[in-house]
Amino acid sequence: MSVFLGFEGLGVQRSRAQNVGKGAGLPVRHWMLLALVCLGVAKSDLVWAQETSASDPFEKANRASFKFSMGLDHVILAPIAHGYMAVTPHGVRDHVSAVVYNLGEPNTVINLVLQGKPKRAMRSTTRFIVNSTVGVLGLFDVAAKMNLPRRDADFGQTFGVWGAKPGAYLYVPLMGPLNVRDGVGRALDIVTDPVSLYVGGLDTDFGKARTGVTIVDLRAATDPAFQALKDASDPYVTTRSAYTQYREASVREAAGEAEVLPDFDAPPPEAPPPAPKP
Amino acid sequence: MTGKTMQSTFSTRRPTRRGANAALLAFFGAAAMAVPALAQSARDPGAEAFVQTKAERVIAVLADKKQSEAQKKQVFRQAVDELADVPKITNFVLGKYARTITPDQRARFTPVFRAYAENVYQSRIDDYRGEQLKVTGSVVRKPGDVIVNTTISGGQITQPLPVSWRVLGNGQTWKVVDVQFKGIWLAITQQQDFVSTIDNAGGNIDVLINQLQKGGSGSSGRR
Repeated sequence: MSVFLGFEGLGVQRSRAQNVGKGAGLPVRHWMLLALVCLGVAKSDLVWAQETSASDPFEKANRASFKFSMGLDHVILAPIAHGYMAVTPHGVRDHVSAVVYNLGEPNTVINLVLQGKPKRAMRSTTRFIVNSTVGVLGLFDVAAKMNLPRRDADFGQTFGVWGAKPGAYLYVPLMGPLNVRDGVGRALDIVTDPVSLYVGGLDTDFGKARTGVTIVDLRAATDPAFQALKDASDPYVTTRSAYTQYREASVREAAGEAEVLPDFDAPPPEAPPPAPKP
Repeated sequence: MTGKTMQSTFSTRRPTRRGANAALLAFFGAAAMAVPALAQSARDPGAEAFVQTKAERVIAVLADKKQSEAQKKQVFRQAVDELADVPKITNFVLGKYARTITPDQRARFTPVFRAYAENVYQSRIDDYRGEQLKVTGSVVRKPGDVIVNTTISGGQITQPLPVSWRVLGNGQTWKVVDVQFKGIWLAITQQQDFVSTIDNAGGNIDVLINQLQKGGSGSSGRR
């Protein structure tokens, strides 16, 4: 599948939906919007529904991929992560996470520059220098105590700040939940990562060790989320919903946009699907 | 939209009507968008004080090592009633099916969801074992609709954990309707989870009720 499908493909899908049943005036969707506004249905609810509902045209394949990944996690990653969590105290794991985070800081700097935030980029640069030296290769977050807090940024977020829509939701084995925008972003995060380029990528022992530690650290850090999925009624949709909200919040925060939230006093205006056949 | 499609769409309209439609849409659109933009500014000390007191109590109940699990459960239930608008949340998580649920189904869903939510959220909050809650600010979305931002720290939490609370009220009384952690609103996620389950059952709400009674997604439920 083309990686650009999300940027171009989704736009086409939405436009086609707008054109269905168009009459002499506005497309039907616009008339419906006007009618709902006039009827007192909050526009924010419609916007909210669009923002929080992921476009999932490949749901069938994604569900199969999700099921496969959960099985893989159950037999490989979860036992490794649980073993790691059992033999290392919480504090040690925090220091390992700090090292992993520190190695990603140069990539954060690149993206803060691309997002037009030079001051934040300077602070993150300072964080990297301080934590890599005084903080012993990132083991200790000394910079945070110097009023230089963490600022996350990646290419997926940068594309979002530039106005790219998330595109289709994808669940990729071993990579987890994604959308097309974040998939392209993640590929760029990997190929432009300054630490990989200048210290060593996957073809070096350092790169292999870094990748292994990052995977175990990430799996351990997200273990509460994996536990929470066991309580979900539909774990696939819960994952999709949480991922979509998480990434949209990340973009919104970087872009400084206000959040649109649903009305708690009225259920969504869509009609339910037909009742099951007896 | 392709250029051709767009062109053909507009070429069928009369210019005067198109202008009127655009103006109408622009007016309603601008008016609807302007409300949240103007409203999301000031803080609300009343909502902040409510969250500081009531949410901290919920956390304190779970952090209390002196009480037995049964005692904790009972006090937790009382604390949740004081903090959250349980009926409103119960209705919200049903999404579009809140319009079509029968009185009998609602009577069965309400206690089942309550028990499910208590178990889930008690486990979730317990996972982090935070001890202190500190309000860091709030944003008034519109009168009576406030997001209160807090951090939870202490216990097993090494770095203060940002948690936001959406509170609705009339200025005198407040109730929490949703909680956000790492950008994820719990009630919104719950709604999408439940609605998908009912959708996949062809609109049969009983399937969700039965599933919640069994515990989450079935065999993997940890309760």
